[in-house]
Amino acid sequence: MPLSKQVSLLKQLDELHAHMAAPCNEELKTLLLQAKALEKWPIAQLISIFERNTTENLIKRHQIIKELESNPDTYNKQAKVLGFTGTPGAGKSSLIGVTCLELLKQNPDLSIAVIAIDPSSQSSGGALLGDRTRTQFPVNDARIFFRSQASHLDLGGMGKTTFNAVRALRRLFDLIIIETVGIGQSEIEVQRLADHTLLVMQPLAGDQVQFMKAGIMEVPDSFIINKCDEDELAKKSHHLLKASLKLAQVLPKEGEQEAEIFMTSATRHKGIEELAGKLLREVRAGESKDLMEQENYFLNKWVQEAYGEFGIGLLEHFKGESSLEHGTFEEKELAYKSLIAKFLSRLN
Amino acid sequence: MTDKQHAHHLYDKEGKVQKDRPWIFRTYAGHTNVWASNELYRSNLSKGQTGLSIAMDLPTQCGYSSDHDIARPEIGKVGVPINSLDDMAVLFDQIPIEQMNTSMTINGTSMWLLALYVALAEERGVAVSELKGTTQNDLIKEYLARGTYIFPPEDSIRLIVDMYEYCLHNIPSWNASNICSYHLQEAGATPVQELAFALTTAITILDAIKERNCFNEEEFERCVGRISYFVNAGMRFVEELSKMRAFCEMWDEICQERYGVKNPKYRRFRYGVQVNSLGLTEEQPENNAWRILIETLGVTLSRKARCRALQLPAWNEALSLPRPWDQQWSLRLQQIMAYETDLLEYPDLFEGSVVIESKVAELKQQAYEEINKILDMGGGIEAVKTGYMKSSLVSSQGDRMAKLVNGEQVVVGKNRWTDGLESPLVSSADGGVFKVDAEAAARTIEALNQTRSQRDPARVEVALKRLQDEAKQGINLMEASIECAKARVTTGEWSDTLREAFGEFRPPTGVEGQALNIESETLETVRSKVKDFTETFGYRPRMVVGKPGLDGHSNGAEMIAVAARHAGFDVIYFGIRLSAVDIVQSALEENVDVIGVSLLSGSHNEITDQLFAELDKHGAKTAIPVVLGGIIPSSDFQALSAKGVKRIFTPKDYDLMVVMNDIIDLIIENKKQQI
Repeated sequence: MPLSKQVSLLKQLDELHAHMAAPCNEELKTLLLQAKALEKWPIAQLISIFERNTTENLIKRHQIIKELESNPDTYNKQAKVLGFTGTPGAGKSSLIGVTCLELLKQNPDLSIAVIAIDPSSQSSGGALLGDRTRTQFPVNDARIFFRSQASHLDLGGMGKTTFNAVRALRRLFDLIIIETVGIGQSEIEVQRLADHTLLVMQPLAGDQVQFMKAGIMEVPDSFIINKCDEDELAKKSHHLLKASLKLAQVLPKEGEQEAEIFMTSATRHKGIEELAGKLLREVRAGESKDLMEQENYFLNKWVQEAYGEFGIGLLEHFKGESSLEHGTFEEKELAYKSLIAKFLSRLN
Repeated sequence: MTDKQHAHHLYDKEGKVQKDRPWIFRTYAGHTNVWASNELYRSNLSKGQTGLSIAMDLPTQCGYSSDHDIARPEIGKVGVPINSLDDMAVLFDQIPIEQMNTSMTINGTSMWLLALYVALAEERGVAVSELKGTTQNDLIKEYLARGTYIFPPEDSIRLIVDMYEYCLHNIPSWNASNICSYHLQEAGATPVQELAFALTTAITILDAIKERNCFNEEEFERCVGRISYFVNAGMRFVEELSKMRAFCEMWDEICQERYGVKNPKYRRFRYGVQVNSLGLTEEQPENNAWRILIETLGVTLSRKARCRALQLPAWNEALSLPRPWDQQWSLRLQQIMAYETDLLEYPDLFEGSVVIESKVAELKQQAYEEINKILDMGGGIEAVKTGYMKSSLVSSQGDRMAKLVNGEQVVVGKNRWTDGLESPLVSSADGGVFKVDAEAAARTIEALNQTRSQRDPARVEVALKRLQDEAKQGINLMEASIECAKARVTTGEWSDTLREAFGEFRPPTGVEGQALNIESETLETVRSKVKDFTETFGYRPRMVVGKPGLDGHSNGAEMIAVAARHAGFDVIYFGIRLSAVDIVQSALEENVDVIGVSLLSGSHNEITDQLFAELDKHGAKTAIPVVLGGIIPSSDFQALSAKGVKRIFTPKDYDLMVVMNDIIDLIIENKKQQI
């Protein structure tokens, strides 16, 4: 890149910084308050700001996070994030559908946001988002919000858009449920984002255990054997899974609890009460992930996607730069862009 | 054949030359309310129609009484509303049911309608055993193509088996169900898929009957003999004729090999037909008259595989619901074919034809392969639940649309020879379309209220309690349903009781993972607009495709959903039977750029009002543009635009990418206005 362009890029970045310093405008503040009141369309628009990849939205994201952080009494929620993962066909959506209804039955004051991710087409880039088919939520009920996301060819099956959507929703809901695509690396990704990860399997499938043996995925926090329509089948699968876990030597680390196994049938409404009870206990008691660590992970991921190995190498090179360690995710994004621009201009 | 007899004659037992009796002439009819439909039936019967084919409205088919919220826009639209035995009595007033062959197009609630018919006979003093007719009652094709299912697959099959058991003992001439391949072709099925899926359905039912073990061997044979079919016939009439011959041969083989049926009479493939409507065009609609005639050939020419009963669509079905005159015109076609031509004087015309035999053999081989595949995957119910059959149909429909666009499949007036003089048939005072009188629905609801106020509430309560208990205990539900009918239980009450016992079911939509085989310049244009949009706004255009109300003909919606993804949109599609509130809520939660709604039942005016009222409530009426697609008469366009509809697409707009181009332009235009 010629020097003049580098300089103008740096100038642009500085201008952006200046823009970001401005507080939320009234329109955004109103949107946030409406979202806080769990109005559907404002929440949806807020998520869109966090999903859309434009400079204008980047500035808004930063301003919104600042606004949320500086008004902790208003935006007082601290959502627990649950990740449901497992191969397509394991019945994740239907299970999430009935489990959410049961959660609301057990705790009518709960507010839940569901983010369901479906794969994008390799050829057209578009996606068919059909997870709503398998949930039957009451209409106009503010306590439950459903949003579909496309994987956008993100190899992880869950990318920055999901991470960002969670950032927007964390201070508005009690519980965020993420349903992964269930292919590729989504199991690993969702574990970074979720406080508790549940692996949904079909009875007697066993494939997931093979994955674990191969060391592809870390151990989920809980297992669910879904589609246990018959008791006999449920029992068999339970024993099989236990035996496989033992074989694979997937044992709890010291001080950790053994991963629980749930047997459910979304269609026959079996085991749903127990599962919901467990999830409610997680909401109340379980610890949240270290958010800083999480941000760094997704920053790394973004750098990798945008700049490849070269970018990751530079990230190492920039280690210790305070601008990469403080501020919002958006500030770090910009800081990295500036550092790279400066680095390149020195090369010239 | 004796020495003096000729191969081209038909002879009776005495060796006298004879002529075949014609098939049963039916006209699928019913609309507005029971009074209007009764008048229509009596007039059709007096015109020489020989059987009744009853069309029910969507609330009756989906198990809702007329005063339910979801029912109101649909009362009397695509058929007659039946709320109770009192309605049934009016519908058949002055019609001798003991002499009728009555076919009811009813599925989710077929047990209920049969119970009403039996109760009517008993109250009239007619022997139940004399009743003749058919309840359609094929739920598998409802999950796949037509959408008026209510209960989960296992429970639906149980109700069907209950009816076979009851009918065999009590109404021996009743066809408890009618396996339909008709709707599969309407949803895009190839001839092989039609053969395979319909025969799989029959196998699923017979297997379930065998499993219940309620018949001795002789009874089971008779029960197999009651299985009848409802088939479609399209424009490729030689292939269709071969398909019918393949059906006959395969059914005979399956009955013999899988079920050991010895008596050939019980292995005969008995079928009725409605010829294809999917291929009828909105453009130059008068051409459809010829199409209907040609489609008729496929199911009448070959004596060995000739239909038992035939009903024809009307020339203007792609425009709106047909008027009585339109139906009369179609009936006349049948009469001309049967009585003016010499068709019925000859034995089978294709016996020994090398060409036909080879074609039949090929169809059979491919269909058997498909049947075995489905059976290996766990059978018909499993193939419904996994969505295997549904996605196969969506995929075939996608191929059909692609061939229309690239001209591989020629449709005169649609993609070839499109310029023509305007048809005088559509310029009559009513625009050539049928409108339901809005006042008529009020009379239906009034009658419903009267039934409710005059019945014995204690008897109703006991009857419903019995229905509920026996549903859970696995007892045959026919007797309990007949008692409900006599107690003046309503359609909604009977259905709700079983909904509670069985639960409701939503089958897979079949659209996920579908690819469309369309490559065209328009596609390139649309994709480049989508690319610009994505770069400018930082996300892909988002669209909700909604199928509101009770109408389950979803292939239009499915094709748009698949096409939008093909164009690069992120599309939210979640099946049929949604309320306007469901659709608006999903549009808001998903923060979409456009709402697309598909409507074929004629209720577009009412449902559009509901949609805009709901959008307005959330302050989104001007922010999110709404487009409509379906069977929408052009005379309604202006009013719909005035309500706020931005684009209207009809069957004329068969090039999916042209539709998507229009939609992306609309989105961009709307986006610019907001900035």
